[in-house]
Amino acid sequence: MTSTMTTARTVGSLRQTLAMSKRSIMALVRQPALVIPSITFPLFFAALGTSSFGRATGLPGFPKVDSFLDFSLAGTIVQGVLFGSVQSGSALATDIENGFFYRLLASPTSRLGILIGRLMGAAAYGAAQTAFFTVLLIPFGLHVKGGVPGAIVMLVSGGLTAIAIAGFMAAMALRTGSSEAVQGVFPLVFIALFFSSAFFPRQTMSGAYRHIADANPISYLIEGLRDLCITGFTASACAKALLVPIGIMVVSFALALRSLARRVAAQ
Amino acid sequence: MSSKSPIVASRLVRHFGSSDNPVRAVDGVDLEVREGEIFGFLGPNGAGKSTTVRMLTTLLRPTSGTAHVAGFDIVREADKVRRNIGVALQDAAIDPLMTGHELLELQAVLYGIAPASVKPRAGELLERVGLTAAADRRVGTYSGGMRRRLDLALSLIHEPTVLFLDEPTTGLDPMSRVTLWDEVRRLNKEGTTVLLTTQYLEEADQLADRIAIIDGGKIVREGVPRDLKAQVGAPTLLISVDAAHNDAAARVLGEFGDMRPTTEGALAVGLSAGARAVTDVVRRLDEQGIVVHHLELNEPSLDDVFAEATGHRLEGEK
Repeated sequence: MTSTMTTARTVGSLRQTLAMSKRSIMALVRQPALVIPSITFPLFFAALGTSSFGRATGLPGFPKVDSFLDFSLAGTIVQGVLFGSVQSGSALATDIENGFFYRLLASPTSRLGILIGRLMGAAAYGAAQTAFFTVLLIPFGLHVKGGVPGAIVMLVSGGLTAIAIAGFMAAMALRTGSSEAVQGVFPLVFIALFFSSAFFPRQTMSGAYRHIADANPISYLIEGLRDLCITGFTASACAKALLVPIGIMVVSFALALRSLARRVAAQ
Repeated sequence: MSSKSPIVASRLVRHFGSSDNPVRAVDGVDLEVREGEIFGFLGPNGAGKSTTVRMLTTLLRPTSGTAHVAGFDIVREADKVRRNIGVALQDAAIDPLMTGHELLELQAVLYGIAPASVKPRAGELLERVGLTAAADRRVGTYSGGMRRRLDLALSLIHEPTVLFLDEPTTGLDPMSRVTLWDEVRRLNKEGTTVLLTTQYLEEADQLADRIAIIDGGKIVREGVPRDLKAQVGAPTLLISVDAAHNDAAARVLGEFGDMRPTTEGALAVGLSAGARAVTDVVRRLDEQGIVVHHLELNEPSLDDVFAEATGHRLEGEK
């Protein structure tokens, strides 16, 4: 009897979380103005890099690649996912600002489901962006050496990265309740991306820039994705592409949970 | 207080701000809403109405005091309270990007309604609040009245026995207001206990079986509107008769209370025995052969009650 009730409660919580995820995806689809920048900017940088830095692939320290496009795909994916995840946090803050969050709190839905639903929505969007960038760039000469298994790992990595970053944004949204504050983090995300191996390999960097890139976990995430594209489906590439976002996700989810508990307790 | 009453609060207090200098938004509210009644919570902005409702609906923890809603403790059994109440809060927005139908379906899932029942229940509620034609339109395109009706439908998705409506008609045009009142009455007739907050005297008068007037976080009056008004003073009986009978009519009216000033051509008396004296007045006038062209009985208004209790008027403070 108790186990039947527990199962029913779990199924109910799962349904609620899925419904919340669906809502967050629907919100993105219905606001193209939020989606377009997180698609067009990474593609713009990929196009710019491919047309301008093609000869850079011959520099010492540059990995052996067929084209700059193969090299830049990882940066394009992470850039798009980072931008998309900021929107996810911003949408949660908007829910708090306009009171929809309190409608959810007034219902018997699990508080955790509110957060997880939002993060699952971000994950779905992150995975969709990864698939979109990869498929779109294939006609322009992109080769994914890791093949279908490599592409699947990239897709999963895109989703995990989205959860990891959206977790920080959700923590910020729950702490401040301000979409402006969440949007204010955007330049920091951009800086974190620039001080990584998103646009050039770490081996070509020097000085402080190199040290920061070495310490930046985004560098290793990007290198994992990049290896899947330019080297092949290897254990080390998969480990970097999956374990780095999982590590970040653990930290950001803990922060988001703490902020959620504080906001609910403050009511 | 009856333990069977769906809403019972005892010395409910909520402070905001620092502990050194707290603002006492709600300052010791005792409340009992009986089963099957519409209870009006009347007061100006900042009086403590919404804060009380937010505590009773588990959205805000009381600083002290206790309350039971639908038989459950609002702090220790908050989840059970949420499962048994419907809530339409003034400041809880409806997602403008979703359609009415989608929102109802989401609400149904949040309240654990069986998947097979979700669509029929959503359709039934949309029909009930007259939004079937707009069901697939995004809420962002709805008028204020339509949003309030949808909000009401959302709060009814799980067929709650207790319904909280926080200023349900604020900002609505008179037509939309009346439509919503009719729906609240219909729900109440079907057995739903309703607690509604309002700053509109007419709304409290029209809808509520009993009211509580709150000011400065304290309940200053509570009771049946008619009784509260009767406590303020005698009702005024206004009549008009042929000019030739004015003096005789004034003498008759004088037997039932103090004459009151009124417009030219009319006579007014404060009925010291209350409204029940009207039949006696009419009989006495008839005995004297005085033909009454117009008769009107005016109760003291809730604004008079509010002014008597707080020293200031609610009308004009909105």
